[in-house]
Amino acid sequence: MKIDIIDYESCSAAGVNLSALRTSLKQHKSGLIKNNLPGSDLDTWIGLVEQINGVDDLGQWQSRNNALAALGYEQGTIRHTVSALISKYGAARIGLVMGSSTSSIDRTEEAYTKLNSENGLTEAFKQPFVHNPHAPALFAAHLSGIKGPSLTINTACSSSAKVFATGARWLETGIVDAVLVGGVDTLCLSVLHGFNSLQLLSPNPCKPFDQHRDGINLGEASGFAVLQRAGENDNGRGITLAGYGESSDAHHMSHPHPDGLGARLSMTQALKRAALSPESVDYINLHGTSSRANDLIEGKLISELFPASVRCSSTKAWMGHTLGAAGITEAIIAMDTLHTNVIPGSKNLETLDEALDFSIKATDEEKVCQHVMTNSFGFGGNNCTLLFSRAE
Amino acid sequence: MQTKALKCKIAGTGAWGSYFENWSALQALLGGADLPEAKLKSPKPGIIPANERRRAPLPVKLAVESSWQATQDAGVEPNTLTCVFVSGLGDTDLTDYMCKTLASEHKELSPTKFHNSVHNAPAGYWTISTGTMSAANSVAGYEESVSLTILEAMIQCETENVPMLLTFYDAPVADILTPVLPNQETFAFSLVIYPHDADVEGQVLTAMVNQQEDASWPALNADSTYLTEMYAQNPAAKILCVAELLNQPDGQITIPLSSGTSLTLACEG
Repeated sequence: MKIDIIDYESCSAAGVNLSALRTSLKQHKSGLIKNNLPGSDLDTWIGLVEQINGVDDLGQWQSRNNALAALGYEQGTIRHTVSALISKYGAARIGLVMGSSTSSIDRTEEAYTKLNSENGLTEAFKQPFVHNPHAPALFAAHLSGIKGPSLTINTACSSSAKVFATGARWLETGIVDAVLVGGVDTLCLSVLHGFNSLQLLSPNPCKPFDQHRDGINLGEASGFAVLQRAGENDNGRGITLAGYGESSDAHHMSHPHPDGLGARLSMTQALKRAALSPESVDYINLHGTSSRANDLIEGKLISELFPASVRCSSTKAWMGHTLGAAGITEAIIAMDTLHTNVIPGSKNLETLDEALDFSIKATDEEKVCQHVMTNSFGFGGNNCTLLFSRAE
Repeated sequence: MQTKALKCKIAGTGAWGSYFENWSALQALLGGADLPEAKLKSPKPGIIPANERRRAPLPVKLAVESSWQATQDAGVEPNTLTCVFVSGLGDTDLTDYMCKTLASEHKELSPTKFHNSVHNAPAGYWTISTGTMSAANSVAGYEESVSLTILEAMIQCETENVPMLLTFYDAPVADILTPVLPNQETFAFSLVIYPHDADVEGQVLTAMVNQQEDASWPALNADSTYLTEMYAQNPAAKILCVAELLNQPDGQITIPLSSGTSLTLACEG
């Protein structure tokens, strides 16, 4: 079954909304800055969304993660689109699937710095709806008024790619008439110091696939998309979700499979589901974290699976690796090339890794694409590939 | 488009808790058997290699043990199953460890504890231990974790025509977080399901999504303070009402799914 993309919005350090993101991409203007997150002195670069600090009126829902979700939900026409669907079909016929890795652990971290004299939570932090992994969808349901099934997917860095697969399946069975899918993850000490413990952070702006890359930069983002069954709307963006692939590495909790077996499976599944051959894909937005291991394995796999005519790039040098929000952020960048007709270059790439040989360039390319793909790989060996096509 | 009923066949069941080590022991408790004297702390799932198992967090061991039991009960190769793992609370011991460390002067985290802190750690350990390369989802649904996971897995089973493993687990909550998440019980439960027309033995489960605003969880039939308290406080243990349905088929229950929907489950055979 074909699924139409009705609307989409993105909020990250590269742009508080889709329109600002397009400008940053066009100007090759990165949102990465030297780490200045309060409480962290790590020598790295981060993709911080300044405007989050202005969202401080969420009451019992307050957390940095929810604030970023709220900020993202106010951008563009997403709220309007969802409200119109609720009016048309009823709130219980709209589903919600959110992806996140941190949920609202930023708030739990803060609560632990402000414990009372008995080592207990203080009143302001007694927030059961916030201190649990389902917080992103609980809050998004509250924000949007959606009353249909609302699920949170927490599969680390593939979370908000997998929301599209789940949303598509829900639509296929008819349990809902539209699905709001989203992803949200915020910078917090857990992820900064966690990735630091794995020696994965770079002290420099990240350089995905470069010979001299030396690690990742973390970022924060929220993103939303509205899905409906093809043909049941007349206001779509002219984009369909043509296929998806989901797989597991079965190898290691934090290292990718050395031969990329799981990643290969998710890409081939997506092609099969979309009934497309590798050469018909115009652009692949790679996972491309800028870690030594990921980029080497992903790059080799691309050259094995796809011909040199398929343009590739990693866009993480614009906003950093936004973890559980990376899937939807990069899905939006990939699908938006069907609107802008510009394939973004792989920012910060100077010298391609000598062990790699595939079609990746630092410069943009103007092209009217038909089919675009995006990869998201996460801890636990959790992989997801999405394929979007120009609607017929 | 109209909602139609979802259907699947249940081919295997697994369970682990402080007072039961498998599905038949849980069935006995549901039927009124006395609690054993000894309270168990943790399962020791044999499929996780010993050196890995020592470092594996409790939620991982719970989920892997009960998943293994369900696959054995179904007589299926574990690596042929697509999976959905769910916990309503996540690993609060690791949340507690990370937040305490990060609130202190020295913020160095253990790399192993950090990668184990992801919500999909049980799915990761399961796929690694069994060599499963198919999709492994890891979801959360707070109080509706059980109903959302049944829905998600039955939809995936039907639309992709694949057998699925569903595993529900929640461990006792770390002290500081108990005012907001009160659960103190250890619980895991797993089901192996097949498309309803698959050539396997099993009870047929039907699920229907209804528009309903005020659905509440049905009372358990079991007359057991231990089970009813766990049912109230442990999000994964909400599956106990489904366990009773499987135990006494040909009935149906309606459970909350979201603020505007409920899920009616019926079981035959």
